[in-house]
Amino acid sequence: MMDSLLRRIRPEQFREVILALVTLGVLLFFASQIPDYFNGRSVNRLTMGMAIPLTVAVGQVLVVLTRNIDLSVSSIVGLAAYATGTLLARNNDLNPFLAILFAIALGLILGALNGLLVAYGNVPSIIATLGTLALYRVALVEFSGAKTVTTSELPAWLDDVPGANVFSAGAYDLRVMFAAALVVVILGQLVLRYLPFGRRLYAIGSNPDAARFAGLPVRRDVLLAFTLCGGLSGLAGFMFLVRFGNITVTAAQGLELQVVAAVVVGGVSILGGSGSMIGALLGVLLIEVLQTSLLRWQGMSEFVKDAILGLLILIAVTADAVILGRLREMWVRVRRRDQEAARAAAGEGAIGG
Amino acid sequence: MLRLASGHGYMLPLREGRRQAASEAMAPRHTASEDAMERAPAAANPDELRPVFEAEHISKSFGGTQALSDVSLTLYPGEIHALLGENGAGKSTLIKIMTGLQQPDAGELRIAGEDVRINSSQDAQRLGVAAIYQEPMIFPDLSVAENIFIGHTDRGAIVDRRAMERDARATLDRLGVSLDVGEPARGLTLAEQQTVEIAKAISLDVRVLIMDEPTASLSAHEVRQLFRIVTNLRQQGVAVCFISHRMEEVFEIADRVTILRDGRWISTQPRAEVTVASAIHGMVGREVVELFKRNRHEPGPVRLSVKNLHREGVFDGITFDLRAGEVLGFAGLVGARRTDVGLALFGIAPADAGEVELEGRDVHIENPRQAMELGIAYSTEDRRQLGLIMPMTIAENISLPSLPRFLGPGGFIDFAEEVSTAERFRKRLAIRSNSVETPAGSLSGGNQQKVLISKWLETNPKVLIVDEPTRGIDVGAKVEVHQLIDDLAAEGMAVIIISSDLPEVLAMSDRILVMREGRQMAIFAHGEATQEKVLSAAMGQSGDLFPDGSAAAAVAAELDRLVQGKGLEAGQ
Amino acid sequence: MGRLLKRLRSWEGLLLVILLVVLAYNILRVPNFLTITNQINLFQLGIEKAIVVLVMAFIIINGEIDLSVASMMGLAAAIVAVLYQNGTPMPLAILAALAVGAAFGLMNGYFVAKLGITSLAVTLAGYIGFRGLARMLVEDNSVGDFPEWFNRLGQQGLIGPVTLSILIYIVLAIVAALVLNRTGFGRTTYVVGNSAKVARFSGVSVERNKMILFTLSGFIAALAGVLYAARLGAVRSSTAEGFELDIITVVLLGGVSIFGGVGTMLGVLLSTYLVLNLRNGLVIAGVTGNTQTGIIGLLLILSVLLPNMAAAARSRLKRRSESAAATRAPTGAGSGAGTATG
Repeated sequence: MMDSLLRRIRPEQFREVILALVTLGVLLFFASQIPDYFNGRSVNRLTMGMAIPLTVAVGQVLVVLTRNIDLSVSSIVGLAAYATGTLLARNNDLNPFLAILFAIALGLILGALNGLLVAYGNVPSIIATLGTLALYRVALVEFSGAKTVTTSELPAWLDDVPGANVFSAGAYDLRVMFAAALVVVILGQLVLRYLPFGRRLYAIGSNPDAARFAGLPVRRDVLLAFTLCGGLSGLAGFMFLVRFGNITVTAAQGLELQVVAAVVVGGVSILGGSGSMIGALLGVLLIEVLQTSLLRWQGMSEFVKDAILGLLILIAVTADAVILGRLREMWVRVRRRDQEAARAAAGEGAIGG
Repeated sequence: MLRLASGHGYMLPLREGRRQAASEAMAPRHTASEDAMERAPAAANPDELRPVFEAEHISKSFGGTQALSDVSLTLYPGEIHALLGENGAGKSTLIKIMTGLQQPDAGELRIAGEDVRINSSQDAQRLGVAAIYQEPMIFPDLSVAENIFIGHTDRGAIVDRRAMERDARATLDRLGVSLDVGEPARGLTLAEQQTVEIAKAISLDVRVLIMDEPTASLSAHEVRQLFRIVTNLRQQGVAVCFISHRMEEVFEIADRVTILRDGRWISTQPRAEVTVASAIHGMVGREVVELFKRNRHEPGPVRLSVKNLHREGVFDGITFDLRAGEVLGFAGLVGARRTDVGLALFGIAPADAGEVELEGRDVHIENPRQAMELGIAYSTEDRRQLGLIMPMTIAENISLPSLPRFLGPGGFIDFAEEVSTAERFRKRLAIRSNSVETPAGSLSGGNQQKVLISKWLETNPKVLIVDEPTRGIDVGAKVEVHQLIDDLAAEGMAVIIISSDLPEVLAMSDRILVMREGRQMAIFAHGEATQEKVLSAAMGQSGDLFPDGSAAAAVAAELDRLVQGKGLEAGQ
Repeated sequence: MGRLLKRLRSWEGLLLVILLVVLAYNILRVPNFLTITNQINLFQLGIEKAIVVLVMAFIIINGEIDLSVASMMGLAAAIVAVLYQNGTPMPLAILAALAVGAAFGLMNGYFVAKLGITSLAVTLAGYIGFRGLARMLVEDNSVGDFPEWFNRLGQQGLIGPVTLSILIYIVLAIVAALVLNRTGFGRTTYVVGNSAKVARFSGVSVERNKMILFTLSGFIAALAGVLYAARLGAVRSSTAEGFELDIITVVLLGGVSIFGGVGTMLGVLLSTYLVLNLRNGLVIAGVTGNTQTGIIGLLLILSVLLPNMAAAARSRLKRRSESAAATRAPTGAGSGAGTATG
């Protein structure tokens, strides 16, 4: 049974299949517990909640694939949201696209700083980004003077964006922000699959020594991954501004953990080299479902969320290290056996000749 | 100065020799027609006679040791050139220089007649020089096709997976192999991974392909497959520099053979002019200076008895008795798995099956602590990575394995005792350092080795296994280490010495166990062992790789004769 | 004199110089800065972190990291608060919190040492999970109303002006210094951090060392959390949030290498005192708490970046002088190919 399954699916794909099944199971469970679980409003809220973490998660995947981590994303989101909010509050007529570009550019610069520290300064990414997590937050505090951007100062068009639909089917809307996040996921997946840069990210995380040996531009690619991660966090910062309007100095605090958790739960190996944007999408979905459903589930405290998240991460990394390792061994064994069988059947001489 | 010159192939001055070899190189390739495999006809292109790669008068030294001294090597397109030499003859250094991993101290490199400098592996790649190692450099998470093309920068801005897989398949076809190019490399066998690396090399228009013991961990079937690939490459005009310790393979596939010994060039000859005996003689035929004279004495009772020790896929059928006061040498070449036997006896990588008796008692060794409690100590060959903690002091290194013995109440270290113990060893082993409180990393290799052995002597072992105790240390220290081993044996310690240095094993051992590829080939007593016999036993091919009647089979038979001690005169 | 210079050129020497500068600033700005009361107040403000720093130094010297300590502090504080609120006697509540700390520490150690999962990932799960458990316990309330003696223990001097926390810190600091420098366990910690492989090849139990360290880390973090609760007099789910950054920074600033194997307790104690003084000085200079954290973050990056850049510069210099030497050396040194073979 296991053997025939292993003949069809690779261990890496198992992760995403299992994750999809788990998410489906969780959805069905809550549907059985909570009346009218799949109503339009709830589903719309779920997708809205996913937009920001999803956008950041795509950037995080780029970084994690190279066997690094970026913990500073939440501060970049907060800083970009605040700076863009301030900019718009002062110039109410500013072209919306310029505002978006400004948020992204700010993110790119902050991300590049992370990348420089890691790729060229040889500072371990956990240290570098733990440091910039604090630094960027301070930049926000100093820059804002601990003041708040309020919805009333912002141009009116911003109010319309969160509710704007690409299209809607009955009570179910495809909101612009979620659509944008989906586009980012798809673009990210295309980059990973079809650009040489994307493939090199896998190579670098998969075997850093071999990557250097093969003459791949390891430093440049790591820098680029961090920069893009910063840029996407900047974009998410704009989304944050759009969604919440009121931006305080603590904006998006703690988001970095939610994103790293989603990426790890989504089957992106913390040791680099494997994972996909689709996995990250599933990870964000699962976490968001847990988060919103626990709120609605009677007799359950919403405060369980983080404890479950911690447990999920532990399970995910253990599964990655222990179970996936076993699966891989089994997979190789099954393949070997099949090859031997084929070889025996075909007769020695036919092989490879 | 070297005695083997007389009647030994040609011993012309180098330049002439090379030229002559060059003109002859093309010819004998076709004479060996009894091959089981198809031989490619050489393209009758006059360009082929121009060397594609030349290394001239290459010298390289590391610290005090001269790894290469005035070595030259010329490769022609479409030839398979075997590089022969014992461990430490300088082959690896030569390869590292050819692939840009190291720079020569002196000498020139030329590619297609032009002077080049190869400063990095990227340079080498650009110039069409690539190397395949025993352990392939693979990206486990990428597909076969991606592994082949990841280094290419000229395949457009977008990865065309289909085109890439098609090209990968075409490249593999050129090699005459079929692999699922979409599959991740993680699941490939070592042999398949090697094939992928070869494909990667030829996809980058390789002109010189260096293969460093590519067959060491391959099965017979896989070796045959690899040879088919290599012959294909020759047909396509690639110069293949092939390094192997297996004589049969060399005689099966090589067009020319270059022998190195002790970092020096010995000879370059067409294969047809080389005999097994002459090759072995070339590799070991140094002036035999008795390095060290042991005080031989009658060994005591059997201390360690090993029967049919087996570890799946690593070694098998290791059987020997080791007596008190005896020194048993483990001889063999790279990949002989001698170290693995040592690691099994020390519990790092325990054996799966077999019996071990220590002083008549059955023992099972599962981990190093257990081995140490039984009185077995293993001094590693890798001082830097596994032996010593370089930033820590001599005293701290020496006390490490027996640290519990230096602890007083409350787990406090008795520093005075630690230092005085280290001082004792410093005096006894003449460790040259001002103080035992200097970092081990600041010592010379020889003194580091003495610290490493001290660390194990402090555990009072009954059986001491020393792995390559004199590798990379100067002559003076070498003699001191030998003297120490002799003294230990005289005091009744049972010693196993694993060494790739043939004269050392011969001089130091009471008996010599020869391994090849995880199997025990022979045990020679001190009197009957010669360099030629030991090397012949160590260099053969295990298993029936080549059909009867082939050149390789004849080589195997000749090796057997040499092990018996017959036919040595034929080579001289 | 030469010895003193050598000492100063070490990391500890550098710390000492910076410390003196900051100290001088504080002394000049604050009258009676060096009085016992002032010094105790200075320590009291960061005493829980200082306690955890001691065990974090061991963990990082061992070559691992524990991101979960601050969450563990919060969880322990929450356990004490909630258990007491629900009628458990205070001493029992404290014991329960310490036991939970040790148990979760052991769990971290098991995943790292036995299953071989990187400590970064394991303790990241703890970082989120332990905080989540604390949140489950106290939700968004502030739980206080501790018994009088508990608050007093946290806030007032036990022996003269010296508080229980400071007393515990002094004892633990002495124990930590002794254990790290003088015992087999401390030696093993260095050995494993330097090279787990050499340790294994020397018969040292790497797993045992790591398990003990992570268990201790959980236990000490829980203890610090309980002390923090006593000092604050009330516990929220966010208690001690973000402390891990400060703790790790102090350890690295103390000269402990993030790659393990290197560092001294003297350096760590110096950097603890330095950061306390720095924070104090920043308060005097009117810098807010959040910005102080940012400056600590900057210090953290610099404490890794600067030694790296220095090492890179050194090796570049060395390479340059080597290649210069190589071009100067006569080529074709051995002209004797013919003589060697002929």
